[in-house]
Amino acid sequence: MFQAILFYTFAAVLIGAAMGVIFSRNPVHAVMFLVLAFFQSSLLWLLAEAEFLAIVLILVYVGAVMVLFLFVVMMIDINVERVQGGLVRYAPLGLVIAGLMVVELVQLIWARSRFEVATGGFAATPEGYSNTEALGAILYTEHVYAFEIAAVILLLAIVAAISLTMRKREGLKVQNITSQVAARAKDRVRVVKMEAEKRQ
Amino acid sequence: MIGLYHYLTISAILFALAVAGIFINRRNLIVLLMCIELVLLAVNFNFVAFSRYLGDETGQAFVFFILTVAAAEAAIGLAILVVLFRNRRSINVQELDSMKG
Amino acid sequence: MTISDFLPAAPEISLLCSICAVLLIDLFISDEKRVVTFWLALVALLLNIWVVVVSAPPDPTTIFDGSYIYDPLSQVLKVAATAVVALGFFYARDYLRQVGMLKGEFFVLGLFGLLGIMIMISAGSLLTMYLGLETLSLALYALVAFDRESPQAAESAMKYFVLGAIASGALLYGISWIYGVTGSLKFAEISQSIAVRPELNDVPLWFGMAFLVVGIAFKFGAVPFHMWLPDVYQGARSPVTLYIASAPKLAALALILRVLVDGLEGLHGVWQGMVMVIAVLSLVIGNVVAIAQSNIKRMLGYSAIAHVGFILLAVFAGSEAGYAASLFYTLTYVIMAAGAFGMVLLLSRQGFEAEAIADFKGLNARSPWFALMMLFFMFGMAGVPPWVGFFAKLNVINVVLDAGFPGLAILMVLASVVGAYYYLRVVWYMYFERAEDKSVFQAGRDTRALLSLNGLAVLALGIAPGWLLALCLAVIG
Repeated sequence: MFQAILFYTFAAVLIGAAMGVIFSRNPVHAVMFLVLAFFQSSLLWLLAEAEFLAIVLILVYVGAVMVLFLFVVMMIDINVERVQGGLVRYAPLGLVIAGLMVVELVQLIWARSRFEVATGGFAATPEGYSNTEALGAILYTEHVYAFEIAAVILLLAIVAAISLTMRKREGLKVQNITSQVAARAKDRVRVVKMEAEKRQ
Repeated sequence: MIGLYHYLTISAILFALAVAGIFINRRNLIVLLMCIELVLLAVNFNFVAFSRYLGDETGQAFVFFILTVAAAEAAIGLAILVVLFRNRRSINVQELDSMKG
Repeated sequence: MTISDFLPAAPEISLLCSICAVLLIDLFISDEKRVVTFWLALVALLLNIWVVVVSAPPDPTTIFDGSYIYDPLSQVLKVAATAVVALGFFYARDYLRQVGMLKGEFFVLGLFGLLGIMIMISAGSLLTMYLGLETLSLALYALVAFDRESPQAAESAMKYFVLGAIASGALLYGISWIYGVTGSLKFAEISQSIAVRPELNDVPLWFGMAFLVVGIAFKFGAVPFHMWLPDVYQGARSPVTLYIASAPKLAALALILRVLVDGLEGLHGVWQGMVMVIAVLSLVIGNVVAIAQSNIKRMLGYSAIAHVGFILLAVFAGSEAGYAASLFYTLTYVIMAAGAFGMVLLLSRQGFEAEAIADFKGLNARSPWFALMMLFFMFGMAGVPPWVGFFAKLNVINVVLDAGFPGLAILMVLASVVGAYYYLRVVWYMYFERAEDKSVFQAGRDTRALLSLNGLAVLALGIAPGWLLALCLAVIG
């Protein structure tokens, strides 16, 4: 019972946050709503005992991807008024589409699918089961090939993102670390021998 | 008891909202990219639920890979967005109409 | 498990090593000597072909717990994809040098794309297929936006990215349902569990499959998921268009053969209808809209949509002969597309893009030999005998007739006749119109020789298509 209350609370906030994402006039608000949605999803996954992914979702998604989004939103100065003209016009139709899709999907899930849902809940995990351990065990054995490809994709993303956005601007003052490190005392300080002046 | 169907329903609602969001926010590229993240979140919900239902961690491993790819995809997508913005000073989709036919 | 267990995956492993080597060496090459990167990339590709041929085990094998498949089909597709990428790099070299865009990233991203193609070709599970697809797509998005100064390129890259990401989302949603219903991601296990438990063949699985077909159709650029294709073909720089128009089609073919044929063979009756609708729409819309185009890249884009219609109809027929016909069609189409875009590159130079069809006016007066080559490519694509496109189309029509769909066969013939019009218009311009542009080609001798070989291959394969047909049948069976 307690679990059900938690589930419905988190789910309600999640759906509210998702609606916030699609209806926000300000992109910064949309990003914040998306962060909220990810937090709620993470909680729901914790309830489903998928602990590792719940943590990773926060670390990777909220910690990295959403921050990247925020960076770009703030870097690009968007004219909110002009961009959002379509929101009002398309919103009713969009909601109708969403409603129809939900009705059809719910019908598909609850009436047409034939999963054996005897007890209703997920089967309990065995005593001493560690989600992280189990995932690690298959990630580095069964899915090692996929794991390597994921590494390739990250390398590719680095190459692509840098080649697209890095540019050398004229007149930019940058540090030359090599020359800084190579500097010796004699390049900076000149020791001059002078005769002491005579006392007056 | 909260089980498979509840999670699948959440996923379905998220998916529908994300599709509606893509439709509504056709003009705003940044929010469009966020709606795509929502689609992926719905997919991840499906995988987590099925994985727990089947008692098979492969589904959760798939989510792990989707998260990785989505991070890479977001990086490249935002890079293209920045290039576009530098060229046109606008990310309004309606102004993306130089090619017709 | 020993290191020799990984031997069937040697092509992917060695290509990744070559990519890293090219990436690192490119750092130390000055801009004037950038052509060295091109030669390195070419060496990497030749090495790759050699490894694919040498490392092949005697029998079809799967490794990495079934997520990697080696079979003769994968070998043929990998050699073809590598060769076509090499061809594309060759045609691109002189163009990139002339417009001052000869950068190492082009070749590195191109090699990454090839790696993605090879991963898809050998994928044994939906997981590796998805990761391969993303490797290819991410490389392509970056390549389209490669020219950072061009608003048009950035715009088409953005369109491509957004639509591609939505399609990936649809594909993943479908995969999640198929995983939930069948309990596995591996094609072999999926098809087995459908065979063992017929009650699975029901709405939830069809639902997942429908999303999967949408994703596949998008990657092929089939109607109604083709919106990105003409814009990307037109907006990207010509070498990138050449790349997108050629090798990824082989990956898309592998995608459909592995997923729908190997994995979901049990649902053949269900996906057949969807594939047919998509294929017929592509055939009709591609051919009709191509007539109205004045930009040759855009025209070739719509013609690509029409060709995809043929490929999908061959898969739709659903027999082994049908799959062999689709393989034959894709292989020959890719050769012709590479050649046609190679001609566009040949005509372009610093400050001038040969993008309008009118730029081909009077090509015969300027260079009778290359006008002849362009005629070969156009006749090949139009399906004029004895060029190879004719046999490819004939094959598909035969297969569809054998499957008992005479109406579709008639439609294909009609579509080909309509399609011939816009190919022949290019030929008309070349031979019967006066030239506006009288400059000489600046491409290197090696590029010209390769382009000539490319053109002659279209004719030679048409005169003697038997061995390639036999090969296609042998690797499918």
